[in-house]
Amino acid sequence: MADDLYSVLGVAKTAKADDIAKAYRKLAKKLHPDLNPGDKAAEEKFKKITAAYDILGDEDKRGRYDRGEIDASGQETPQQRYYREYAGGAEGARYRSSAGFEDIGAFSDLFGDMFAERGGMRGGGRRFSMRGQDAQYRLDVEFLDAVNGTKTRLTLPDGGTLDVTIPPGVSDGQVLRLKGKGGPGLGEGRPGDALIEIRVRPHSVFTREGNDIVVEVPITIDEAVLGSKVEVPTIGGRVSVTVPPGANTGQTLRLKGRGVKAKGGAGDQLVKLSVMLPEQIDEDLKSFAEKWRSSHPYDPRRKLKEQA
Amino acid sequence: MLSERDLLSRVQRLTVTRLRVWVSQGLIKPADAAAQSYSEADLARATLICDLEDDLGFAEEDVPVLLNLIDQIHGLRAELKVLLTALEELPPDLRATVRLQITRSRDPGTR
Repeated sequence: MADDLYSVLGVAKTAKADDIAKAYRKLAKKLHPDLNPGDKAAEEKFKKITAAYDILGDEDKRGRYDRGEIDASGQETPQQRYYREYAGGAEGARYRSSAGFEDIGAFSDLFGDMFAERGGMRGGGRRFSMRGQDAQYRLDVEFLDAVNGTKTRLTLPDGGTLDVTIPPGVSDGQVLRLKGKGGPGLGEGRPGDALIEIRVRPHSVFTREGNDIVVEVPITIDEAVLGSKVEVPTIGGRVSVTVPPGANTGQTLRLKGRGVKAKGGAGDQLVKLSVMLPEQIDEDLKSFAEKWRSSHPYDPRRKLKEQA
Repeated sequence: MLSERDLLSRVQRLTVTRLRVWVSQGLIKPADAAAQSYSEADLARATLICDLEDDLGFAEEDVPVLLNLIDQIHGLRAELKVLLTALEELPPDLRATVRLQITRSRDPGTR
C-alpha cells in the first residue's frame, strides 16, 4: 500500500474536500462489489479507494497523512461483508429475481423446463409467470376430408389425445391453432397453444386449384362428335354433365359451385375433356377414316407452322 | 438470528426509521418476518443500501431500481450456476458437443 492516496482517487494534493468526495463517489459507483458481483479486480480497487477516502475524506486524518504522521495504510477498516457474498446462497434466494427470464424461456425448451421445475419447487421469492409452450403437431388428412371438413382425433406423443375439427376447405400446409391446448403455463401464465400443420394427401382423381376442383374426364369419339350426357365424379358425389356436340380434347366445362365451399363462396369444378380413341381400331373405323381423310382434309397444326 | 436492535447496533449508519421504511417497501425482508428477526444476509443487504445512499450518493428513489437490477443479476447468476453444474455432470463427449454448440451459437457466421 505504498500508493499515493491522492493518485488512487485521481485528485490533486490541493483538491478541496468536495472534489475528493466527488472523485470517490465516481469511482465507487463503478467499483462497488455489489454492483460488480464476481469481479475480484473491482473489489480490490474498491478497497483501495475506500481506504484512501477514509483518510482523505476526513479533514483531521488528511492533515495527519499530509504531515506524514500516518502512512497510506494508517487506517484499517473492519472487513465489510458484502451482500453479494450472501446473494448466491440459500439466504439470498428470498431476494433473487427471475423477472427477466420470460423471453429466454420462450425460445429455449431447456430453459422453459428448467424454470418449470423451479416454479414448482420454490414458493418463496418473487412470483414467476410464463405462458406455456406452444406444441407443434402434424396431421395427415385425406383429400376429401380436407375439402368437406371432418372431425378427427390426434394421438399425442405422450399418449394423450386431442380432438381436432378440420374446417371445410382446409389447404395443404395450413396451420390450425387450438387455443390453450399446448403446454401448461407457469404461475399466472396462460397455457400455450397447439399448432397443427395440416398435410393433405393427394387424390387419384381430384386435384385442387385454389377453391376449384379439377377433374380430367375422358370421352369417346362419338360422344365428342355428337354430344352426350356423361357421369362425372364431384367432391359431393356423381353428377350428369352435358357434353356439347363437337367437344374437343383440352376443352373445359365449368360446374358452377361444385368446388370447395369456402367462406367467400364456393369454388367451381372444372371438367377437362380428353377425347380417347378406342383401344382397338377396328376395320369399320379404319375404312371410315380413309374415306373421310380424302374428302375432308383439315389441318390442326396450322398455328404451329405459322408461329414457330 | 439478529433482533432489530442487534441489526441497528451492527450497522451504525442505520436508523430505526430507515430500516422500517425499507422493510415496508420490501427492500429488506426479515428472515423471520413474524419474529422481526434478521439474518446476516439481511444485515449485509442493509449495509449495501446504506452504501448506495450515503457513500455512492444515489437518491432514495433510485435505490429500489438498483436493488431490482442487482436481484435480477443474482437470479441469473444462480440459474447459470445450476446450468453449469448440470453440464459438469455430463459425460465428456456430451460436454464436447455442448461446447461446440455454444461456440456456434455465439458466432453463427462461422458455421
